[in-house]
Amino acid sequence: MKKSAPPRYLLRLLKAFCKPEYHADIEGDLLELYERRELESGRVRANLLLFKDVLFLFRPGIIRSAAIQPLTNNDMIKSYFTMGWRSLAKNKLYSTLNVTGLTFGIVCFLLVGLYVYDELTFDNQHTQRDRIYRVISHNENPNNGLTVVAAAGYMLAEESPNAIPEVESTTRIQRIGRANLVDPENPVYVQETVTIGDQYFLQVFDFPLIEGDRRTALKEPNSIVITEDLAMKIFNRVDVVNKNLLFDFMRTPLKITGILKNHPHNSTFNFTSVMSEPGRNNADGFRQGVETDWASTSFTVYALLKPQSNADSVASKMTRLVLANAELAPGRTLFHTLQPLKDVHLRSEGIVDGGRNTNVDSIPQGNPVYVSVFSVAAIFALLIAGINYTNLTTARASSRIKEIGVRKTIGAVRGNLIRQFLVESLITTAIAFLLAVIIVNLLLPPFNNFVNKQFSFFTATSLRFWGIALALIVLVGVISGGYAALLLSRFNPVALLKGLKIRSGSDFTVRKVLVVFQFTISTIMIIGTMVLLMQVRYLNNSDLGFNRDLMLVIDVNVGKARSNFEWVKTEMAKVPAVQHVSVTSRVPGEWKTFRRVKVKKEGSSSEHQIAYVIGADPDFLATYDIKLLNGRNFQNESDSSAILINETAANMLGLTPADFNDQVVDIPVIARNSFFVPLYNDVNASFKPRVVGIVNDFHFQSLRDKIQPLIIAYNNNPIHGIDYYSVKISPHNIQSTLDKLKAIMVANDEREPFEYHFLDDQLALFYIEDQRSQTILSWVAIASVFIACLGLFGLATYAAEQRLKEIGVRKVLGANVVSLITLLSKDFVKLVLVACCISFPIAWWGANRWLEEYAYHVDVTWWVFALAGVLATGIALLTVSYQAIKTALVNPVEILKSE
Amino acid sequence: MKKIQLGEFEEVVLLTVGVLHGNAYGVTIKDEIEQRLDREVTIGALQITLRRLESKGFLKSKQGEATESRRGRPKLFFEITAYGKKALVHSKETRDELWNALPNLVLKLK
Repeated sequence: MKKSAPPRYLLRLLKAFCKPEYHADIEGDLLELYERRELESGRVRANLLLFKDVLFLFRPGIIRSAAIQPLTNNDMIKSYFTMGWRSLAKNKLYSTLNVTGLTFGIVCFLLVGLYVYDELTFDNQHTQRDRIYRVISHNENPNNGLTVVAAAGYMLAEESPNAIPEVESTTRIQRIGRANLVDPENPVYVQETVTIGDQYFLQVFDFPLIEGDRRTALKEPNSIVITEDLAMKIFNRVDVVNKNLLFDFMRTPLKITGILKNHPHNSTFNFTSVMSEPGRNNADGFRQGVETDWASTSFTVYALLKPQSNADSVASKMTRLVLANAELAPGRTLFHTLQPLKDVHLRSEGIVDGGRNTNVDSIPQGNPVYVSVFSVAAIFALLIAGINYTNLTTARASSRIKEIGVRKTIGAVRGNLIRQFLVESLITTAIAFLLAVIIVNLLLPPFNNFVNKQFSFFTATSLRFWGIALALIVLVGVISGGYAALLLSRFNPVALLKGLKIRSGSDFTVRKVLVVFQFTISTIMIIGTMVLLMQVRYLNNSDLGFNRDLMLVIDVNVGKARSNFEWVKTEMAKVPAVQHVSVTSRVPGEWKTFRRVKVKKEGSSSEHQIAYVIGADPDFLATYDIKLLNGRNFQNESDSSAILINETAANMLGLTPADFNDQVVDIPVIARNSFFVPLYNDVNASFKPRVVGIVNDFHFQSLRDKIQPLIIAYNNNPIHGIDYYSVKISPHNIQSTLDKLKAIMVANDEREPFEYHFLDDQLALFYIEDQRSQTILSWVAIASVFIACLGLFGLATYAAEQRLKEIGVRKVLGANVVSLITLLSKDFVKLVLVACCISFPIAWWGANRWLEEYAYHVDVTWWVFALAGVLATGIALLTVSYQAIKTALVNPVEILKSE
Repeated sequence: MKKIQLGEFEEVVLLTVGVLHGNAYGVTIKDEIEQRLDREVTIGALQITLRRLESKGFLKSKQGEATESRRGRPKLFFEITAYGKKALVHSKETRDELWNALPNLVLKLK
């Protein structure tokens, strides 16, 4: 039977007005009836009856309600964007303020964020990083007190994987000193740290190898793996596998078995070459005694644990293993802990970098204080920018009252309006983000240069960073737009269209609180920056008690430079530009480890006390311009058992200027790195020099530390041989002086690499992190103040616009310009003053906490606060008064005639 | 017990749903009323009454299967609820009371 369909327009009509939940079964009934009627009485009649039925269904109860369906289709989204864009384009001033503020905020956030992200992702290149731990030794003995060293014994590394089930493998490295590394076929002397790693080193850590096999590269004795950079330096090319290299203190050449990629900048490892451990019967004799070395601190040991191992329990197993095998000296205690690899960079405070010779620099550490200060500053900068947006948008709510009212009247529900405002804020944020990315891109090269890092744009490693940054910024957009959206969409359309003023009290308070918050943070940043600036200036310019200008410090790197120093000194003194030459074991402001001794007055019954030692020749005092307070300087070789001491040491030993002369002191033990050991093979023997002079206290260490007791021994002494030439030169023609000095050193020994530093540069390195932080923080502070002021400017502009009529009337009634400016600025300045009051105690507390790190520091004086307060208020006043003056000067006729 | 008032058509529809017991949906209800009471019922009037009764709680509905003649549209079967029965009983009782109170004389007067 052929079925014909009812007219579709009737069914469509039904669908159009019928409640959706009723539609299906009503239509079913109609269709069933239609079919029957068609059979009974023909199609025309069936159509007619259907028409009648549909018509009679058109009644309340069946018709769908008039509520607007959610319009989340593409057209509406498109409309949001169009309207958002138009609204931004219409209010150019406010849009520009918003975008500029956000751009600045995001730029600060991204740059500082890059820095922080980099600090937090140190050593992330190793795929097993979560399971790698550094073994830390906690030693205590009567001589030393407690020392915490990142090092352990040879056998601990050797036996742990066998004895402790959770330990998958271990690796140990050792930095035994510095030496010339040369290509025997073409000797160019390159001074390098000598690093020895065992065969598992490249397996526990995955330093990427360009050439070579990581499993076998360090297996054979006399193998060496070098980095690309070093290969370029020595050979000028990188395909040098199987070539030979030679350390000048060894007889056997080393075969290159692998080329490493250069370390990424965020790596705690900075070695340029690793040689394999020597074989059992090696003639160079490193291996003597390693089989019994359980408890030394000669090796840096890393352990790779099996997944889900408990580091603490492994550490105590290691302690037990060591104690079961080692014979500790009486009174010595030792236990181990494990430090996760990710903590090595930022959380190694109080842990001495072990497993190295004293002439090897310790690995650079990050400063967790600065990392957290920066993170907070970066987030605050972004927050301030977000607050600006919220403030400006809500403040301008009343200008948009009509728009919102009309929208609501023609059927926009609250959701539409919220979405509308959110889209607007997202457009603003997106524009700001794009601009910020462009600016960051432009700023990156100088920024990299400045913080000494190599950030690049959108590299694989920092994709995650960009993800996080983008998410955070969208979040800021949503939150800062969200408050405005919720607030603006809340109003009743009737009230809106009647032109009632919206004076929602809470909203006004929120805005005030936000402005106060912005300025509190800005003021804290201003104060922080000023204190930092003062401290850094103090660090770099304070009188150290010696003269550091034009002081050239040349490292002693070859044996002959040490043994033949008299000749070198004489030759150097002949160079016209050279004023003084001195040889010393360490120099004031030293960057390598000072040797320490324990000392007491001969015959005294008191305890021995710790003092630092510099070995120096008679020219030392003149070269460094150190004042001799009492007694005499060294004179000649006969003074090899004479010492000078500084005032602190004199106090410590209880020597007064009157009775110190020729006092004999007793020095039985010495610490070359962390541990005190007897100075001579005979435990009971000790060095007994005479005190011949007392020198002025001078800062031979960083200003972070208090001046310690210092003993200046003659250059020929049993504690520390000479390691440096210090040459005081005149400022003219420095390059040619350098050339002449180099010629002398090379004439003395052809293998001389001539490594030199200017002492003032070297001293500045102590504080380079502070200097950098100060600069970064000042920029962030400036940006924050700027952003906050943009916000204030916007608010002031708006307030002035709102009060135009009022101003006009006041003027007509005789108000003068000054009183009008006061009227308009007063409210804002009040807010800034409140902000100052809140920020002062916080800043005072923070600054003092930070300054406590330095034994010598500036005091936080009242005028810093006063200046910061005046600065903040002044800038705010300036910002606001521009608008105030502009408004106050307007001719009242202009304003009032429009009505 | 207040407000279980039923309109005349409402009562008819409710009773018809009861009569059809289990097979009461739009078309059958319409047919049944038309046959038994000999009056014309429009879909619109019926539907709105059904929905009203449902929303008052006298009826409940259940979606049935789709048949070919309805082109896949489901039938909506109605059933009297307990409350609906109570309403019917209440309605009948009030009528009976009135009938009983009616003096015989009045009927005879016809």
